Amino acid sequence: MDETVGPSEMIVHLGPQHPMQPGPFRLNLKLKGETVVDGDIELGFIHKGIEKILENKTYLQGIPIVDRICYLTAMTNEEAYVGAVEKLADIEVPEKSQYIRVIVEELSRLQSHLLGMGEFGEFIGFVSMFMYTIKEREEILSLMDMVTGARITHTFLRFGGVRDDLPEGFKEKSVAVFASLREQIADYDKLFNHDEIYKLRCFGVGILDSKTARDLGVSGPALRATGVPFDIRKDEPYLVYKDLDFKVCTATDGDIAARINVRLEEMLEAMYIIEQCLDQMPSGPIFFEDSLYGVRTPVMRVPEGEVFHRVEDPRGEMGFYMVSDGSDKPYRVKIRGPVFPTMQALPPLIKGTTIADVAAIAGSMDGCTSEADR
Amino acid sequence: MDAKTIIDSLVNKFQDSLVDAKVDSDIRVSAYLEPEKIVEVCQYMKDELLFDHLSSETAVDYPKRNEIVVVYHIGSYDHSVLMTIKVKLPRDAPEIESIVPVHWNANWYERETYELFGVKFNNHPDLKPLVLPDELMGDWPLRKDYEGFPNRTARNLV
Repeated sequence: MDETVGPSEMIVHLGPQHPMQPGPFRLNLKLKGETVVDGDIELGFIHKGIEKILENKTYLQGIPIVDRICYLTAMTNEEAYVGAVEKLADIEVPEKSQYIRVIVEELSRLQSHLLGMGEFGEFIGFVSMFMYTIKEREEILSLMDMVTGARITHTFLRFGGVRDDLPEGFKEKSVAVFASLREQIADYDKLFNHDEIYKLRCFGVGILDSKTARDLGVSGPALRATGVPFDIRKDEPYLVYKDLDFKVCTATDGDIAARINVRLEEMLEAMYIIEQCLDQMPSGPIFFEDSLYGVRTPVMRVPEGEVFHRVEDPRGEMGFYMVSDGSDKPYRVKIRGPVFPTMQALPPLIKGTTIADVAAIAGSMDGCTSEADR
Repeated sequence: MDAKTIIDSLVNKFQDSLVDAKVDSDIRVSAYLEPEKIVEVCQYMKDELLFDHLSSETAVDYPKRNEIVVVYHIGSYDHSVLMTIKVKLPRDAPEIESIVPVHWNANWYERETYELFGVKFNNHPDLKPLVLPDELMGDWPLRKDYEGFPNRTARNLV
């Protein structure tokens, strides 16, 4: 961004600490009156060097590290990492474990969307929304806690399976939680889409058309809200997603409201997927008996090679590029997070809007600085 | 569009500069490329083969071979084939043309690769550090010979 200011222009720094932000980053805005003329983002306030750390950890030790890329999407981060190693080492996963993985990953999607929506409500001045969604999110987290033993950083997946089977009473509890969540989602829909103030602030604001979204490299709900049905679960099916019935939720308008509606629909789909998994759950082991890997082998060597494995994160396309040199540690890991390109697309998106809309637009993109910085 | 058609089309068009072009699976193709051709190939792939989504761009350091390999993962919003292009650069002076004119979102990936590996991207609109502080420029932390702690402790930075 050009730092020189003309007459009646000024530069405003949002952050690195600001209530509208999901983590520390700095948004520099050049304003003319209330209109945003130009903007740019500075990252690096929470750079953890996870790619370098992973090079110095054995494969099994890497699992808790990838949890911490972003705690909201810990389960899908693990799936991308573990899936990449499984492809490299050619490890097979029993069907039962695949179903359990789909269940926990969709639960992860539910809680991520719930928190994202609550935060978004807060950004547009509707603070009660955060209280509503955080209550439901806590129910989802307790379901995940039942399975994995942790609320947010789970360390649950293993190469060739999962750590534990589903516990007793999980199905019954999930039925109760989902019934209440479905009611709540109907309420959220009313609170959002039938509210005059919300309509003024979110309909037709922050419009991203499908051509621009493709050029900017956006993925996930923000892209699907523009009408592009891009979903890794359909395009490049992993686990048992190809046997499951679900639709890719899209909208056409590409504005803030469309992005929120796509997330609301996706939450319904996620619950539908979990119910299918619970109904179709096969019997059998969670690890293959002759598997060399799994819980019993802390040190494993992975054959030489490289792989790029993608999964559908709650925010979009999550990919791990992993190079192995045949030792017990990865030679190079590149984490391609969905938020990195989404945050990059924010400055062009807010150009020409007013400063009051910046928080609403940024909130609707559902960013996470921790993941962008890694 | 399937993997075989894509690789055939590329090999036909860029016979001299593509090395080791192969189909890895139904949805993955890969090739090594001469550094001079990178913008041209990306443009051709975007226009003719619908590769309009730059999924990631990074580098891998190979000190033993004295090489830094820049890796491009280019996918598509319309079909599910993902192409991996690898470009070998000399380790002491890695330089390559920026692909920002073709893929807008390469901007941050190239800034990141620059600060972590020291790969210089020519004609990049704004090549400056992204996630690292200015003091760490020139250390290239993701290279294999980076010593890390304790040569750059917090005390040394003050």
